[in-house]
Amino acid sequence: MQNLKVLLVDDEEEFVTTLAERLELRGIQARSVTDGEIALQMIETNPPRVVILDVMMPGLGGLEVLKRIKAQKPQIHVILLTGRGSTKEGIEGMQRGAFDYLMKPINIEELIKKMQEAIKSQP
Amino acid sequence: MFGHKDKEVAFFGKITAGITHEINNVLAIIKESSGLLEDILAVTGEDTFPHKEKFKKALKRILGQIQRGVAITNNLNWFAHSSDHSPTSVDLNEVTEQMVLLASRFARLKNVGLETGPKDGPFIIKTHPVALQMALFISIEIFLDLITSGGKITLFPRKIQNNYVVGIHFEGMTADDANLPQAIITSDRWAFLQETMACLGGSAQADESASGILLYFTET
Repeated sequence: MQNLKVLLVDDEEEFVTTLAERLELRGIQARSVTDGEIALQMIETNPPRVVILDVMMPGLGGLEVLKRIKAQKPQIHVILLTGRGSTKEGIEGMQRGAFDYLMKPINIEELIKKMQEAIKSQP
Repeated sequence: MFGHKDKEVAFFGKITAGITHEINNVLAIIKESSGLLEDILAVTGEDTFPHKEKFKKALKRILGQIQRGVAITNNLNWFAHSSDHSPTSVDLNEVTEQMVLLASRFARLKNVGLETGPKDGPFIIKTHPVALQMALFISIEIFLDLITSGGKITLFPRKIQNNYVVGIHFEGMTADDANLPQAIITSDRWAFLQETMACLGGSAQADESASGILLYFTET
């Protein structure tokens, strides 16, 4: 997992920056962003291997961002973050190409495990 | 009953569901922040951090309360979303389990245990979830009004002939223990329970043999 490039996309800035710090302490190169449009630009210029993407975001919603990532860079794996009452969106996201989804609040070890699984499945 | 009132209930449900999402985000931030502190503590030597153990204990307590908060918001979220579709198909087992969790605080205030009985089923009925939850809650409240302190209320979903039934039984002492069925049907909430069950196409009966209430739902 060392040097793995991950992009975290969630409109909750304190959540996403803290999670990025925790991943960095584990040797993962984590960048964070709170806006879907900016996330797509970052993916275009400096693509990560995995994107952690919140489903419920203002502006460009998570499922729309997912659709554009898959059109733009289909090799990038996307793991969705959903609320407890939003599992429907998580399942819909997987049907649209997301690798998996996790419910917030997340367990960081579970997130890392999902990222490992995603990378292993990457062609 | 199910018209404008349904829209009001849906409105309350939508607002409550939105708030539970917000609370969940707050809990997620607290969890990551306390997790970050744990990560930093893990790489900090004992000699450079004299109160390390106390910090660890405090962080453990915070994590425990986050888990508690997540469980409460999950239940509240489930409750709020129950007004999304009405009528809809529900499993009586699932609804009674959720209501036991949601009403547990009210029972705890009277030192009363609240639980579901042995699980059978599933018992799927098409109904109005909010009115169903209300009927279960009123039944629990009837007992809580009669109980002085202590005892146990158990909810048993089951099938009797062509009817789905939820039995709500009480074990313990009440102020009018000699005639509990009579106390149930003369309680202030009994008429409201019957009215609610009638709206659901069912009925409420005092269960004379088992110190309880039986809620009958017609199979659909």
